[in-house]
Amino acid sequence: MTRSKVINGLKPVLFTLPAMIPFILFWLAPLLYVLYLSLTEWDFMSPDKTFVGLQNYADLFSNPAFYKALRVTVLFCAGSVLPVISIGLGLALLMNRKLGGSALYQALLFSPWVTPTVAVSIVWSWIYEPDVGLANTVLNFLGLEPIGWLQDPKWALTGVLLVTIWKSVGWAMIFYLVALRNVPSDLLEAGELDGASALQKFFRITLPLISPTTLFLFVVQIIQALQAYDQINVLTQGGPSGSTRTLLYLYYQSAFESFQIGEASTVAVVLVFICMLLSVFSLGVSKRTTHYQ
Amino acid sequence: MRIFTRLGQPVRQLFFAVIALLMAFPFYWMVTSALKTNDEIWRSPPTLWPEVPLWGNFAAAWNEAPFARYMGNSIFVATAIVVLQVINSGMMAYALTHMKFRLKGVFAGVILFGYMVPATAVYLPGYLVLSELHLLNSYGGLILSNCVSVFAIFLVRQAFLQVSHELVEAGEVDGASHMRILWTVLVPVTRSSFAVLALITFIEQYNNYFWPMLITKDPGLQLVSAGLRSFFVEGGAYGLKWPLIMAASSFTIAPLLLVFLLAQKTIMQSVNMTAGSSKG
Repeated sequence: MTRSKVINGLKPVLFTLPAMIPFILFWLAPLLYVLYLSLTEWDFMSPDKTFVGLQNYADLFSNPAFYKALRVTVLFCAGSVLPVISIGLGLALLMNRKLGGSALYQALLFSPWVTPTVAVSIVWSWIYEPDVGLANTVLNFLGLEPIGWLQDPKWALTGVLLVTIWKSVGWAMIFYLVALRNVPSDLLEAGELDGASALQKFFRITLPLISPTTLFLFVVQIIQALQAYDQINVLTQGGPSGSTRTLLYLYYQSAFESFQIGEASTVAVVLVFICMLLSVFSLGVSKRTTHYQ
Repeated sequence: MRIFTRLGQPVRQLFFAVIALLMAFPFYWMVTSALKTNDEIWRSPPTLWPEVPLWGNFAAAWNEAPFARYMGNSIFVATAIVVLQVINSGMMAYALTHMKFRLKGVFAGVILFGYMVPATAVYLPGYLVLSELHLLNSYGGLILSNCVSVFAIFLVRQAFLQVSHELVEAGEVDGASHMRILWTVLVPVTRSSFAVLALITFIEQYNNYFWPMLITKDPGLQLVSAGLRSFFVEGGAYGLKWPLIMAASSFTIAPLLLVFLLAQKTIMQSVNMTAGSSKG
């Protein structure tokens, strides 16, 4: 009797172990470890880590390079998330009515999302080639000056952002198409009977009803933007002169290029903190304002 | 939206034709550049279609670097990860939805917390953990470090929550074990969620770059993204062999476009489900 009780009590443990062991090993333990590392000074090679308390944080918050990376990160987030969401919504609105060949259009618009970022970034780096690249050929054809897409600090972030937007916009569109299809048509018809204009119907009925999708896309896109690495690595490697160096790229460089483990861990902790803040914030927003059907 | 319908079918057709062409153009440019000679690729203004298409460029690129090995690595590692994720997220989700135990709340909380942590932030300590376990530079390290996904657990949990309790209780009355109920009752009913999970995970892992590149220094273990990147930097030497680089990019992308074409419905469906699981 007691033995079978013990076995029954153990069953849930057995069911959760296959997920919990790797989760603890590769998520939870590293997270605590990075918190500890951020309080030490270490160069990866020497056997000892020196405990320095909050010194790394003080150094980071007085380092201009950190604020520059923070600024690039905010620009990268805003410059990718807002266009992806608004263009995605615009395309979905246009496609929502009957349209011949819409399956083909959806597939073509969605395909960049499926393909490896590294491969498509290499293709884009050829398109951005300053002398004979397609981008400058088009500018030339339009009678505009050529741009140093990835070489000019003024334009490099724009170049990286274009690739990022190109990659995700079809994906966002598909989400909105699903959401728009779930907007009950009798609500829109009722609005029409009440004499609402198209714009009023959009802002008063459609937009609030698809707000869960907007919130979802917003959170996922921001977290993705905070973690963007592949396209930056292939296109600019954080340059020229730091114009595309995000916090994540700064973290990568200080960890695996200059081996300043303490500094790198501090940046990682700041990144985790930003993500959690955003998640908690979005949870709060979703509880308060989004409309679930 | 009346403003949009007023535009009429033909205008919208034209609009989407142009947009779709623009979006697909980088792919077209990749394939046609792969067929050109180096001289032609550097010519200005560029030619839209190569004068003499050099199909041999594909074979040349394929032989210049071990792409068969890279793609084999990616497909093997991604498949192994898919299998492990299906198993452990199925069992975890079952425990969270259909079992009673004391730590349930704690586990659910810990996983929700993991959902908020960006994976990239734990790469450095994760690297140190792998090195402690002597799993750097091994298939084991590549597979095990990716074998659990918080997203997968959420997706499956969400699917299990929608299965009626009577179905599970009927199984319990019949004396079926938890394992039996999970794999013969719940999984078949929720198989579309598992299909979505498998596809999304496969695509994600095949494309994975940053983490595999960090934890494997051995070129024989490189996944296809890292292999392509080193071919771009070393073998292709930045511009000396652009046609070959484009050819290599093409066959790196090809398997995914093929998977996408074959499973388009399921992938599009996944959008619906991920949006759904985010509400939970």
